[in-house]
Amino acid sequence: MSATSTSLEPLFSFLSDSYSTLETTFYKIPGSAVIARYVKSSHRNDPGRTVLEIILIIFAIRTLLQSRTRADNSGKHFIAFDEREIDELVDEWVPEPLAVPLSQREQTELDNMPIISGPTGPKPKLTNGKTVVNMASYNFTGLAGNEAIKESSIEALQKYGLGSCGPPGFYGTQDVHMKLEEDIADFLGTEAAIIYSQGFSTISSVIPAFCKRGDIIVADRGVNFAIQKGLQMSRSTIRWYDHNDMKSLELVLETIEKDRRKKKGPLTRRFIVSEGIFDHDGSMSDLPKLVELKHKYKYRLILDESVSFGSVGRTGRGLTELYNVPASQVDMLVGSLANGLTACGGFCAGTDVVVKHQRINGTSFVFSAAMPPLLSVAASDGISILRSTPSILSNLQDNVHAVRAILDKVDCMTVPSHPASPMIHVHVRLPSPTHLLPVASPNPSPHKHSNPTSPIPKDPEQFDEELEERILQEIVDEALAQGVMITRAKRLKGLELTKVRPAIRLAISAALSKKDCEKAANVVKAAFIKVVSKRR
Amino acid sequence: MFKKKSTPALNTAASYLSAVSEADARARAHGSTPSSTPALSLSSSVTSSSEDTVLHEHDEDNAHGLTYPKNPPTSEQIFTTVHTEFGHCANEQYRFTSQHSTDHPIASVLEQDPPYYILLTTYISYILVIAFGHLRDFLGKRFKRAAYRHLLDDNGYAALNSDFDSFYTRRLKLRIDDCFSAPVYGVPGRTIQLLDRYSPDYNKTMVLTGNRTRALNISSYNYLGFAQSTGACTDADVEGIKRYGVSSCGSRLEGGTLDLHVQAEALVARFMGMEDALISSMGFATNSTIIPALVGKGCLVISDELNHASIRVGVRMSGANVRMFKHNNMDSLEKLLREVISQGQPKTHRPWKKILIIVEGLYSMEGTIVKLPAILELKKKYKFYLFVDEAHSVGAMGPHGRGICDYYGINPRDVDVLMGTFTKSFGAAGGYIAGSKALIDRLRIAGYSGAYAEAVAPPVVTQILASMASIMGINSTVEKQVAAPSRSLLRSYDNAPAPIVEFEAYPGRAPATALPPWMPLPQSMCDCSDSQMRLRRLAFNARYLNRALRKLGFITYGHDDSPVVPLLLFNPGKMAVFSRLMRTRATPIVIVVVAYPATPLVTSRVRFCLSASHTKDDIDTVLEACDEIGDLLDLKQAVGERWPLKEIVARAVELVNMPEVA
Ligand SMILES: Cc1ncc(COP(=O)(O)O)c(C=O)c1O
Repeated sequence: MSATSTSLEPLFSFLSDSYSTLETTFYKIPGSAVIARYVKSSHRNDPGRTVLEIILIIFAIRTLLQSRTRADNSGKHFIAFDEREIDELVDEWVPEPLAVPLSQREQTELDNMPIISGPTGPKPKLTNGKTVVNMASYNFTGLAGNEAIKESSIEALQKYGLGSCGPPGFYGTQDVHMKLEEDIADFLGTEAAIIYSQGFSTISSVIPAFCKRGDIIVADRGVNFAIQKGLQMSRSTIRWYDHNDMKSLELVLETIEKDRRKKKGPLTRRFIVSEGIFDHDGSMSDLPKLVELKHKYKYRLILDESVSFGSVGRTGRGLTELYNVPASQVDMLVGSLANGLTACGGFCAGTDVVVKHQRINGTSFVFSAAMPPLLSVAASDGISILRSTPSILSNLQDNVHAVRAILDKVDCMTVPSHPASPMIHVHVRLPSPTHLLPVASPNPSPHKHSNPTSPIPKDPEQFDEELEERILQEIVDEALAQGVMITRAKRLKGLELTKVRPAIRLAISAALSKKDCEKAANVVKAAFIKVVSKRR
Repeated sequence: MFKKKSTPALNTAASYLSAVSEADARARAHGSTPSSTPALSLSSSVTSSSEDTVLHEHDEDNAHGLTYPKNPPTSEQIFTTVHTEFGHCANEQYRFTSQHSTDHPIASVLEQDPPYYILLTTYISYILVIAFGHLRDFLGKRFKRAAYRHLLDDNGYAALNSDFDSFYTRRLKLRIDDCFSAPVYGVPGRTIQLLDRYSPDYNKTMVLTGNRTRALNISSYNYLGFAQSTGACTDADVEGIKRYGVSSCGSRLEGGTLDLHVQAEALVARFMGMEDALISSMGFATNSTIIPALVGKGCLVISDELNHASIRVGVRMSGANVRMFKHNNMDSLEKLLREVISQGQPKTHRPWKKILIIVEGLYSMEGTIVKLPAILELKKKYKFYLFVDEAHSVGAMGPHGRGICDYYGINPRDVDVLMGTFTKSFGAAGGYIAGSKALIDRLRIAGYSGAYAEAVAPPVVTQILASMASIMGINSTVEKQVAAPSRSLLRSYDNAPAPIVEFEAYPGRAPATALPPWMPLPQSMCDCSDSQMRLRRLAFNARYLNRALRKLGFITYGHDDSPVVPLLLFNPGKMAVFSRLMRTRATPIVIVVVAYPATPLVTSRVRFCLSASHTKDDIDTVLEACDEIGDLLDLKQAVGERWPLKEIVARAVELVNMPEVA
């Protein structure tokens, strides 16, 4: 007690000193006497008020100063020019064009992109008048064009109009949005869920909502572009493990743990980020192992089920249903309503805390209009159809098996996708891969494992991107000519963190009959063989 | 210094507050006995016959005065809209044209400062709540651990949400959370129905009572009143759903492109007066996923300091450098331009690859209009590229509703990139980018949306097509073009120059072939009479409310022609009271209140978003409410000439038509 009072003594003396100087200066200001009298009288009446007023004055001064002290502080690299020199520099400067015109190949590809005339579905009509089998669009569950959904959407339209005309925070939340959130949470078995109005913008907003500078994220090297953007936005420390390699993950987790013990830093938030079915190749995460590791090392798991939700599991609940892992074990379960439910938007399911946090911190939730009410009605309907009709998913699986049975046996292609995945990636395998041979790391890399700070794996797969893309596009065109619409997996070259092997991406639909699927798969197979053998 | 209101006002304040609590109690009492309108009743029998244009839901009374127009229509007035969605207003005097007047150029907007005592009390309020918040956190973490679990490290997991980061939300926002995220039901048109709710635990949770309250809606982004559940656009949407379903399944480049998308893009390009356009399924994502395709490393983005979050996200994703200039301040911009061009890239001093200036047409929190002519002057000298986000101005500004270029009478092609959203004026969803064909084609394949994001849903596209075409009007005189397959519409996909038939120059009408043949629009929409009515009503409403509020003595920001009207409150405590008092009036009114972090700390505000669907009577209602509440909350702090409410209401037309107000 006495110790504190002695240490405070200089402070008191300083205060009284400065008070007296202040007082003398103060009385020099004209009109100050009036204020002094006012303060004195008010102090007599109500001492507490003086304290308040002092705080007030401090703030007043701060406000006054704030508006003036904003000078431009140019760094040490600043070079001073005079006005004439600046004018010259301005005149000399020639900017690059805003956009590079498309190359001939890009333009042709864009111009020849198939356009569907009328509704999409398993067998849409194209603008060239041809009807094709659709193995390009995401319509896993075959809900596109569902009459019941159409009907309830029209009903919703006549109740809510089309747009929501406002962000969720400002009267954009309709009762049907809340219902959809409840439906998703209930379907998956989580406490709550939140819906975003675009699938792509969901995960890229969820990650930075939770992961901040200084947090640690351990991510799969094969994550999709939206996740990569989310990781970039988060500014967290990112460590990578080899694609779908649980040993590599454990190793990275162990290294981080050792590091932390050594440094004894404060506890930071740590996350594992992975995908259910990977958009890049259709492979599937080992969810039970992910959950086990997450618990062991005390990480939170962010799982992007954009492809797997509505496409695997008995009723389409995704990986959690397939592996029988309670969805509550996944901290942030992100999915798309556009792919599995053929509506639009995305969602993140988790605990109440997780969801509430996003309602204020999810950038693309807060700053964007709520999704059109009729589309959330469509999604809600989709969920109830999936619940009540398990045959949809079993038909889908039958179709996937039928297609895989044909494709897996073809020499000139490899299929990296999981056998249950209705999104099937197909790589081309060229007969004499001369250009592929010894280029693959002439001197074996010095590290035993990949470097966890880099998204590039130790021995990246070698391929001729340009050539494979051209071959695959030829195959796509050939299949289309034979009445099957497929697509290359479109990616932004140069922007993806790792070089992704060019692929053809098939999307199998439950709405196709098994026979159609087999026929289409045979067309794809024939197209591969034809195009590849032509090169020989 | 501290003298506040005289006693009578305090009396009123007390009575108002008790009224609020009574209303609240009433709401709860109702909750226990669910009324005959359960929240999810399906009333699908909506027609546009004259009876139903006022009575939308038969079991609703008119206690709030919102269901029927104040003056019953005369026999020759026929309204086809539902009054609760789109108000009936036949008086041709209540119209104005949104157009920049060269005689009265935009005066640099006077941002009045409030008296100092207001600033000081504002700071005190913040200090108080912050101090109490910290005190409660301090005690709570020691004595009520369970309630703080999610804020503390737990069992080896770091807190998901550190108590520091979430302090503002928990300790400040939570107190007035009843003013945010209110769930609603039905068309967000002229009126909207709030789902009544109350909180048993100081806003931690909200419980719905099952009742609904109809309120005058001055908060939705429904500038042209296209939020409707009846009418030609809705009919088109219904037909669209019947034909197309609700999804196009997949991204644009991976098999998700429909003929509808191509038609919509061609129409948007025509609407904007640009060579080509692309559309994307979310307005936010239009910025955040396309800006990175425009700029990258070695490029500089110069951004207005008040630009929308989506622009900031896009710029950050792009990896370009970014500098800000003072809001709408051309001197600040020019100074910055001279600095950055002469200095070049940081450290290396290499010249910038390109410089992109990003501004918004109409700022949604300020109501300010970008000084486009001045920026275009600078553009000639400094050779930067210009990106204008017209999220709020497209449709809402200009004599033809074409946005900010139309408002100023500027050739849109002087701007490099025009971006906008369909969520606001068009009552749809998503966004667009318009520009030269070379640019748009590049963005189609280099923007993130094309490859990765779902395409715009077909019903949304039909709404875009119908609303946009009705704003443009349809040139139906020429029917000579053969009803060729939609290929003829795929302008951007045709290498040969598109056969130019019946083309009207910008801002002209759309050719009949721009719409699918199954989407007939009624005569009033083809001949622009519908859209002119919408545009001119919106322009009147905007100018009337802006000027009237100022005449009442309120401090508002922004331009007179802006349909977004911010009214400054300053003290954070007044936000909640203002919002609650508006909501619990005899004619309930819903408005948006915003504060830090969306605005600077001191300038908490109310934001009104006007719509063509509001009638003059509605604006009068709002003014009356503001007048009363303004006295109660001591908000009338502006200097300048004041008129009493009665005079304002009586001289509204004169007020709106004055070239300038003192
Ligand atoms: C300037 C600006 N840009 C973009 C957006 C995002 O648009 P949307 O709500 O359609 O996602 C908004 C919406 O608030 C906006 O104000």
